[in-house]
Amino acid sequence: MNLQVVYCNHHTANLGIRERLAFSRAQIPQAYSALRAAFPRAEWVVLSTCNRIEVYTAQDDSAHVPSHQDVARFFADFHQVPLAEFFDDLVERTGPDVVRHLFQVASSLDSMVLGEPQIVAQVKEAYALAQDHAAAGPLTNALFQRALKVAKRVRSETTLAEGRVSIASVAVGDFGKRIFDRFDDKTVLVIGAGEMAAETLRYLREAGANEVLVTNRTLARAEQTAAECGGRVCPFEQLDDWLCQADVIVTTTGATPPLVNRDRFRKVRQRSGRKPVFILDLGVPRDFEPSVSDLDDDVYLYCIDDLEAVCEQNRQARSGEVEKALEIIEEETEKFRSELYHRATGPIIKRLRDHHHGIVGDELTRLFARLPHLERDRAEIERSFEQLVNKLLHPPLEALRDEARDGTPHGLMNALKRLFRLHDE
Amino acid sequence: MHMLHVEIICFLASYLVAFVLELGRLFGRSSISRFVMVGFGVAGFVAHTLYLINRSQQTHLPPLLASTHDWMLVLAWVLVLFYVFLTLAQKELAVGVFALPVVLALVGIATLLNQESDVIEVSAARAHRAWAMFHTASLVFGMSAGAAGFLSGIMYLIQHRRLKGRHGEQTGLKMPSLARLAQMNRWAIMLTFLFLTLGFASGVILKVIASEQASPVRFGDPIVVGSLFVWLCLAGAFVWLLSGQASAGRQVAWLTLAGCGFLLITVVGLLLVTGTIHSRSSPGSSGLLDQRGSGPGLFACLQGGIPQWPPSCVAG
Repeated sequence: MNLQVVYCNHHTANLGIRERLAFSRAQIPQAYSALRAAFPRAEWVVLSTCNRIEVYTAQDDSAHVPSHQDVARFFADFHQVPLAEFFDDLVERTGPDVVRHLFQVASSLDSMVLGEPQIVAQVKEAYALAQDHAAAGPLTNALFQRALKVAKRVRSETTLAEGRVSIASVAVGDFGKRIFDRFDDKTVLVIGAGEMAAETLRYLREAGANEVLVTNRTLARAEQTAAECGGRVCPFEQLDDWLCQADVIVTTTGATPPLVNRDRFRKVRQRSGRKPVFILDLGVPRDFEPSVSDLDDDVYLYCIDDLEAVCEQNRQARSGEVEKALEIIEEETEKFRSELYHRATGPIIKRLRDHHHGIVGDELTRLFARLPHLERDRAEIERSFEQLVNKLLHPPLEALRDEARDGTPHGLMNALKRLFRLHDE
Repeated sequence: MHMLHVEIICFLASYLVAFVLELGRLFGRSSISRFVMVGFGVAGFVAHTLYLINRSQQTHLPPLLASTHDWMLVLAWVLVLFYVFLTLAQKELAVGVFALPVVLALVGIATLLNQESDVIEVSAARAHRAWAMFHTASLVFGMSAGAAGFLSGIMYLIQHRRLKGRHGEQTGLKMPSLARLAQMNRWAIMLTFLFLTLGFASGVILKVIASEQASPVRFGDPIVVGSLFVWLCLAGAFVWLLSGQASAGRQVAWLTLAGCGFLLITVVGLLLVTGTIHSRSSPGSSGLLDQRGSGPGLFACLQGGIPQWPPSCVAG
């Protein structure tokens, strides 16, 4: 039984290489066709995400098994990338290491953001695609199905996936959703532009926010941001009006002095009434004076340091769970390995038993034909013969089981076949 | 129908275990611990229900009319019903951390209250029974809404403090959003006021119906005075809410906490005092709880309402 994975990921290869070696969804059928054509007896699963490109191979026998170089050459030929440019970035794992690696990947222990939930769906999708294209087989089925179960177990028995670890997700998930029950009736005001504001808006949109107002000192930039996030441009000169209207304020200008001081916002609050307002000050330096937060009980102001502190706490909490997750993975790897090897020895054990019981059956038939007076003790005699066979078979089967703990016992299996003249079915 | 024999300790212990498990979940969550916790909560609820049914069969009265002890257990039962429902519906919420201590306190207090109910010739009181049920049910619902308001007020203030303190969401102590809690607070005040008012009104009607047999109205009764005071406070809070002056969620939370907390402390405290010391020290007296062995006459005693039912009084 041969398991192998050849991969590159965010630990081993830079983004440029990963982009060149990645398989788009449209390329997957073609990739499986090429792999099957080169190695028709092997099972394949290709897992391609923005952080990793992995090719899993499994084969029952060891004849004509694809090697590390074969898979590397496949990458080079398929993507038309010179082998020398990425060969050192590829990693190969075989045997139990493949099982362990896949379990870690599916449980998001190998992800860039520890505990992120998307990877399980990506593994599931890769496996489903392999099944759709008849590339997966009994071994990869068992491996991937177990990986998905292990990921679920890790998720339920550890808090690895709990606590958000990106600024935007903490802002919306840890704070916004604890203030507001819903966002579809809220007005979001974006002051300035930037990647973090865009990401925060994405989370707010996912939470249901519809009404987005965008304002900026530079109208062109406001228009660009509004186009990107589907918002409405508002003149910067009327900022106080938009501040009155907004329930959620996301600001990223980093202006000096701060854009909104305590007095200015007090006037805004006098006009807007005491509705709760959630302010995400993502500007460096801050756009809102910190004392704005003390104006009244319904002003919730968070700056980037506040959000980063929560992210760090959550990251540390997740790291504390890694050991526990690794223990689960180790236990599951061992269990899977043992099951896999026992599965390999299963057919030979069955044949050995059938062979011996067949001989016993023949001998008993002959015996009872010759000595009919033994018929009345037939049950007892049959039981004795069965026990005799079981006792004779016990040492070789025990040896086979012991050997199977460390891998498929090809040598012993061949020896048993030869000794007892068990022919392949 | 043969019912299982259930003691208070059965469900009290179940709720206690569920509470301990709920506290344990503040430090680490797992689906197993949740399953066990919910299991104990539901088991306690079932035992609690069986106990109330048994009591009802023994006294031949609905639990609301049987005794102060039963009445208090019905109040706890309603809270457990909410707790079980919310815990099953929202697995992340730590409702039990707040609700179960109140439940445990109510069940604990119930064990101190008079369990004996009078032998009431119900046939003689049939005309009043519907009103009495309405009266006591209104009071229990009012108290339940008050208890829910008290809990949501506490949750609001904790959530608000954590948000203002810029603390991230704690794994074990997930609570509803401030908007949801503020809404719950407003509803709690309105429902408490509404049901207590209905309780008062039905008490007056009971008094009118039974006026021929009425004992003198005891305006100096501590329960009457205390309850009337609470009702007036809630009326004030209700008017304040309706007038729109209480726009800040935190003010409403404090108001709910104070109003509903005061209601619980006053009513439960007075019942505890009058339902134990008073009734035991002067058997046969005409005090509300002795006459009836029943707490629901909380407001009815103002009008001398429920006391008109029993032609005889075993407790005396």
